Amino acid sequence: MKMILKQFLKYYLKFITKIVLLIHRPLIISVTGSTNEFFVKNEIKRHLEEAHYDLRSNPKNFNTEIGLPLAILNLSSGYNSYKNWLPIIWQAFMSLFKLKFPKILVLGLGIDKRGDMKYLMSLVRPKIAIITDITQRYIESFSDMDDLVGEYKRFVELIGENGYLILNYDNQRIKKLAEFTKADIIPFGLEKKAPSLDNYWLGGVTEKTINGQTVIVTNDKETKQYSINRFGEHHVYALLIGLIVKKIILNLK
Amino acid sequence: MFNRVKNLQLSVIKQMEIRAAKYPDVISLAQGIPSFDTPACIKRRVERALRAGAVAKYSLSPGLPELREMIEISLAKENMFYDWQKEIIATAGSIEGITASVLAVSDPGDEIILPSPTYVSYKEVINLAGCTPIFVPLNEDKGWSFELDKFEKAITPKTKAILFCNPNNPTGTIYDREQLTGLAELAKKHNLFIISDEVYKDFIYGSSEKIFSLAELPEIRARVIRVFSFSKSHAMTGWRIGFIHSDESVIKEILKVHDCLVTCAPVISQYAAMGALEMGEGDVANFKKHYNRRRSLICSRLDKLNKYLHYIKPNSAYFVFPKILNNSDSVALALELLDKVQVAVVPGIAFGPNGEGHIRLSFGRTEAHINIAFDRLEKFFGL
Repeated sequence: MKMILKQFLKYYLKFITKIVLLIHRPLIISVTGSTNEFFVKNEIKRHLEEAHYDLRSNPKNFNTEIGLPLAILNLSSGYNSYKNWLPIIWQAFMSLFKLKFPKILVLGLGIDKRGDMKYLMSLVRPKIAIITDITQRYIESFSDMDDLVGEYKRFVELIGENGYLILNYDNQRIKKLAEFTKADIIPFGLEKKAPSLDNYWLGGVTEKTINGQTVIVTNDKETKQYSINRFGEHHVYALLIGLIVKKIILNLK
Repeated sequence: MFNRVKNLQLSVIKQMEIRAAKYPDVISLAQGIPSFDTPACIKRRVERALRAGAVAKYSLSPGLPELREMIEISLAKENMFYDWQKEIIATAGSIEGITASVLAVSDPGDEIILPSPTYVSYKEVINLAGCTPIFVPLNEDKGWSFELDKFEKAITPKTKAILFCNPNNPTGTIYDREQLTGLAELAKKHNLFIISDEVYKDFIYGSSEKIFSLAELPEIRARVIRVFSFSKSHAMTGWRIGFIHSDESVIKEILKVHDCLVTCAPVISQYAAMGALEMGEGDVANFKKHYNRRRSLICSRLDKLNKYLHYIKPNSAYFVFPKILNNSDSVALALELLDKVQVAVVPGIAFGPNGEGHIRLSFGRTEAHINIAFDRLEKFFGL
């Protein structure tokens, strides 16, 4: 019974979501990777909200086959309760008639088994796509690392030539994925690349203080210093991605 | 032989439980175990990890990256900013985190300050580390609050740390921001670590919604080791899972001890902790509602015993720590209660010298159990 409900919800929500996206045509920014999705989404949100963009992003766990459409439609989950799902099914239907919808969606895409990415990319087609990192996290459901990376390969292949792919070039597996896309690539990392790369965004921590970190960001055009009130390299990566996304969006305007 | 452990004792709480187990009809208000089962959402998360074959191997010593990342996110919501990669360790419950911390920051012969009354096992951990626990009395007349001058008087050149739980077990006291920042000043002045065990922080009653933690203050992040466990908040005492966090400079030292003690926290329990952080918020709120009701119940039942027991209404946790009127021997009373009416309580002396003359009653048990226990207590006191 539970399986039947799950399958019904999966395809019902997909159907509604696709129609809603077709009606409103928001710009979609997708974040995927083994780690750091939450902080990257937050950083993108922070930059875009500062620039007064109307956006919506998915909460941390709403990044899979049922969670993602719920997040796009701005609905909660009924979790394991049949009763709780009834009003949500109705609200999903009513979403078709809502006039107001955000202009930008910032969506994390979560994968934990083969085929997940193909399914999620059948729901959304991002204009801007980000791969934060690929590690052995969640490898249990894959036969090996190649199998896991295959999911991300599917992701980059499906980003169109008008799209942007923001890739972590500190990760060799991600760097190789650049061969499989026609999208514009914007690489970033914390390691200097030799020979130097076009359009590369380099971040580096210059100082750790009791309040956070001082970070220098360098790209083709400029070098700038930022202070972040968080600790850890993952926040430097998030900062770089946030800055790149903001720049792309401002150029698209 | 056995020199290291010859002065250690099995905690009085556990001794009472072992003794109580001999009475088939005993009602125990002794051990601080929630009456609830682990929430279903947590079990489902664990089942998923089991099915995926993810739990059979060690994790990294500090814990699964995905768990530590979630911990960083949850801490940030409470105004605490720590790097999951270098500043957070998943531990086998809070006591392993406390043991690893004490072993890391102290040398044999050092002194560690404890408020009195406080949680029983701290003393034994300090003894195990070859250190000396120094008790500083809390002021019962001021709702079991800190008196900073007494703490300062207790500091000697051998003092390495101050260890306390906030909210306090057994009194249910919440230490306020002023008291805690005063303690932080002492720590800075005398170059001490502060180990803050906050396992009951989710069960706050009355006006205050959230406790203040010294781990929120960036200027002392390299002195504060904060300890948390899922045991109480998510009814997971059997899973043995918690975490500690502090500045990178401290955590890298504690990690060496943690690795020696347990290699890593149980991986299956780390997945349970992920379930708790992902989906357990509603269950914690529900537990809190129940405990608040039980607090009212136990206080109303204690009111009827006001000729024999005097209590301060706890603001948090699920313990009440009444003073025994006309009798100062808490062990004798606890044993008498067990033998005569089969109610298990913890004698106050277990919580340090200042706990003598009190007993600890847990309202983590069901309302039915509390009522039966108090019916028996009333019989015992001749009401």
